[in-house]
Amino acid sequence: MALRVLLVVVVVCLVVAGVLAFVFHSKGDARFTFDIGGAAPKAAGGTDGSGGSSIKGRLVGLAGVIAGVFVVLIGRIWSMQLLSGDEYTSQAESNRTRTISLSAPRGRILDRNGVEIVSNRPSLTVVADPDVANDDVELQLLGNLIGMPYMAVKRSIEDQTQGAQASRTVARDVSRRVVAYIGEHPDLFQGVSVEERTVRYYPLGSLASHVVGYTGTVTTEQLKASQENEDEGAIKYQTGDTVGQSGVEYQYESVLQGVRGEQVVYVDAKGNVLDYSSTVAPRSGSDVVLTLDANLQKAAEAALDSVIKALRSSVSAECKSGSVVVLDATNGEVLAMASRPNFSPNIFVGGISNDDWESLGSEENDYPLVNRAISGTYPSASTIKPLTTFAALDDGIATPSSTYYCAGWWTGLGQASGKWCWQKTGHGTMTLQTGITYSCDVVFYEIGKGYYLASSNNDGMQEKFREYGLGSLEGIDLPGESAGRVPDAAWKYDYYSSFPEEDRQWKGGDYVNLSIGQGDLLVTPLQMACVYASIANGGDVWTPHVLKCVKSQTGTGSVMEYKPSVLRSCEESEAYRKLVEAGLVGVITEESEYQTKHFAGLPVSVAGKSGTAERSGHQPTGWFVVYAPADDPKYVIASALENATWGGYSAMYVVRDVLGAIYNAPDDELQVMAGITSGD
Amino acid sequence: MADNSAVRDLGSALGSIASALESALTRFGTQGTRLQRRGRLGGLYLAELVPNLLVVAFGAVVIWSASLTISEASFPRHVLGIAMGLVVAALVWRYDYRQFAGMTRALFVLDVALMLMPSIPGLGYSALGMTGWVSLPVIGLRFQPSEIAKPVTILLMASLTSEYNGRIDTLADYLKLCGALLVPFLLILTQPDLGTGLIVLVTGAAIIICGGAKRSWVLVTIALIVVGAALVVVTSMTDGLPHVLKQYQINRLVVFMDPSVDPTGDGYNLQQAKIAVGSGGLLGKGVGNASQAGSGFLPEAHTDFVFALLSEEFGFVGALVLLLLFACMLFSTIGLAMRLDNVFGRLVLVGVVAMWGFQVLQNVGMCIGIMPITGIPLPFVSFGSSSMISQLASMGLIQSVWRYRTKAG
Repeated sequence: MALRVLLVVVVVCLVVAGVLAFVFHSKGDARFTFDIGGAAPKAAGGTDGSGGSSIKGRLVGLAGVIAGVFVVLIGRIWSMQLLSGDEYTSQAESNRTRTISLSAPRGRILDRNGVEIVSNRPSLTVVADPDVANDDVELQLLGNLIGMPYMAVKRSIEDQTQGAQASRTVARDVSRRVVAYIGEHPDLFQGVSVEERTVRYYPLGSLASHVVGYTGTVTTEQLKASQENEDEGAIKYQTGDTVGQSGVEYQYESVLQGVRGEQVVYVDAKGNVLDYSSTVAPRSGSDVVLTLDANLQKAAEAALDSVIKALRSSVSAECKSGSVVVLDATNGEVLAMASRPNFSPNIFVGGISNDDWESLGSEENDYPLVNRAISGTYPSASTIKPLTTFAALDDGIATPSSTYYCAGWWTGLGQASGKWCWQKTGHGTMTLQTGITYSCDVVFYEIGKGYYLASSNNDGMQEKFREYGLGSLEGIDLPGESAGRVPDAAWKYDYYSSFPEEDRQWKGGDYVNLSIGQGDLLVTPLQMACVYASIANGGDVWTPHVLKCVKSQTGTGSVMEYKPSVLRSCEESEAYRKLVEAGLVGVITEESEYQTKHFAGLPVSVAGKSGTAERSGHQPTGWFVVYAPADDPKYVIASALENATWGGYSAMYVVRDVLGAIYNAPDDELQVMAGITSGD
Repeated sequence: MADNSAVRDLGSALGSIASALESALTRFGTQGTRLQRRGRLGGLYLAELVPNLLVVAFGAVVIWSASLTISEASFPRHVLGIAMGLVVAALVWRYDYRQFAGMTRALFVLDVALMLMPSIPGLGYSALGMTGWVSLPVIGLRFQPSEIAKPVTILLMASLTSEYNGRIDTLADYLKLCGALLVPFLLILTQPDLGTGLIVLVTGAAIIICGGAKRSWVLVTIALIVVGAALVVVTSMTDGLPHVLKQYQINRLVVFMDPSVDPTGDGYNLQQAKIAVGSGGLLGKGVGNASQAGSGFLPEAHTDFVFALLSEEFGFVGALVLLLLFACMLFSTIGLAMRLDNVFGRLVLVGVVAMWGFQVLQNVGMCIGIMPITGIPLPFVSFGSSSMISQLASMGLIQSVWRYRTKAG
């Protein structure tokens, strides 16, 4: 702007100078007088040159003005072409070139044996030139053919978020009939064509949908974050890119995404491509190999489905949700992980409809997108009893030889605070080991009371729980993991801040509740699987993970192997371990004839524990956690079913079916759901 | 006192510059005279003719390159225009220009008739938002009468002004001349074609000024024009007041002041023209390689923005050559005028110089952003036969002045 004003000023100055020059110069001729007085000489052909010198002066002035004009023009052109030439050249270059991005196929997701869980498939996509949006007749025809409203077609063609590409997506996955019709009527559909694009494909349907997750169009926040990321090799998204939004798709986005290619083209002012310049071929994303075993995953999902179905038709109509996780105790690999209710990741392909999205996020449908194996938090119930036992032994609250008497009704904290054992008829004389086996609550009430009355280290139980990872993340390579909660006095005081001072205090009843895993304790199925993995391994817990390795889509061999690592190691004395292990084996072999029968068909011995988390106003959450073989543990299986019934009559069946799939020994016992009275 | 002497110093300095320029121009003319006297082309003023024909040839190359990508730019039609123009120029050259001095009335009638032609129903033809064309019935030839009117107006004003033999002493005479000039100017504005109107105005004004108008009147007139123009612009931009200027003309002014205002309309055109010029660099992109013009980013690349196309293809060297050729044409013509003792002849040359000078300033200036956008063609280069014929006729006029020059004073 300043330059422009300066130039105008220069031009004006030169013009003024020229005018002044001829005004001043011709002054010298003022003395000359010539009286035309009505007798003007005929100019044409006249020879009287008396007026000549005045004209001469003004001619010089004219020449000055002309000279000024040329100086200014040449000066300005010199400045534009030689001083600012590079700048204008780059502007001209950016005018005539466009970069078209070539999307890279996403990497596949495979199970541990190479079975495709998620792959890609071609999708016939109708695309249209931008100017088709101005042709109402063509829009109407296209809409009728594809089965889309006129306005929807118009809007998708006018959508500029798909980048500078000449053509815009109108509809995906159109039928062969549509393709044929468009091909046969090029006169009706000018500027419309069909392209083959690549979209996500799920050969096994919704199998492991919570683990693999789903993809979606990149969000504004993700777009912004990727553009601000200055890291070497970081992916730079473009609007409209498909990116992982949950599960493995999200967790290993950087591996799966691939690198977009680029095609530089020369265009004219209307955007028509005139010629092709350089091309950078797209690099497809790498394949992710999971630790999941597709067959075991299928069995786990089938087990969840059948048990939930059976529970719904018998004891609990409201039972809809639950989960199961199978870990390899020796390295932390997740062999199967299932959650119900589930969803089909296929409905996200090509953009999810609003109705579908709302139904996936609604409470009424029990939030199908939530992976309950890692995000679902429930009181652990009796499955916590091995940890309570370790705590009591370590803190001297109890000894291996301590005995307790269970009469069914316990009044250790006074008659007013009396509590029932789950078996109201009482267990008689109990030890710590039989307390675990028979899940006798009175034994653990006494331990809770012991902590309440202890002179020091009253938080020993909570410390033990935390040492085993409760209340913190396990660090699995999946998004959305919950930490759960280990309640203590400080927590309770804060949490119930709106309550009277008296109700905010941590009391004896809280110790007692905590000792049997009821009340405010919250854990995830994955956390309980890790607790039992520690017991199974004699201390070590391997970081749970779903990634086995990353493979290049072209060529063989893996690009990257997951290196398992020990997440934590929990020290316990050998004698105490023996006691707890014997107690857990007893759960399968001694607690109830009914339970024992179910596990009798297995070729290996199993150790485990059931649990039943009470919920006021609802059916309880049923837990069952096992490891097998009991003498040389390999598998840890944890299952929790919401709104179910006693763990031994709900989650137990899920765990048993999974074991049956692992050892090829299906449960022959009839699953009797009716007439359940007890079984914790 | 000091101020006075400073003014006097400035005056004398300007005076000495002017006298130096004068002697240079006279010598230029003399050189030309010497050159011509001996040769067989004694009747041709080569000092003007040679650069002029070189400009025409240069322009033909540019239009040929434009014809490769712009369908409207028909190279054969351009050549046809040049051929017709050369025939007309030859006829004018053979004709004794002095005859025009006595045809004041006939010229005036012809001028008015040309200006009114497009408005006659059945003849007029509209394009680009103005009725500036005439489509001849039967043969279907289309031309722009206002282009033909340019040299006619020069002859008219020169013949009128030369009556006073270099001194216009009474205000009445001055006003009469100005009034005579206003007639074609206002008629052109009705088409509406502000660009051609401005050319006519500047050309006529140069003739009146060089024809001996008192400088005080000239300065007052210029002041009145500036105030009047400012009033026209201000009222046109104010709601409720009469809008003399069309909205597109106001937009062009606004864009000229701040090109970022309108990136898609005229501002876009201006920006694209500047990119075309600037990206030419020193040597240009070569014939046919102009991406700005060839790919349609530069609008009207063969007509109004032809200088931008030339600069993109031939770079600074090409633009400099073109402008120097124009400079040779103009200065040799002024040189001839200096040596002429015929007032009418001088004023005709002044008119031609003013017309070409203003068109070059306006057309090149708009391509490089120092003048507002108007539809004024670049003489001898822009595509369009009417302009080509009219400009070549003007060249013929200069040659006729040379051919029938009286003995140099």
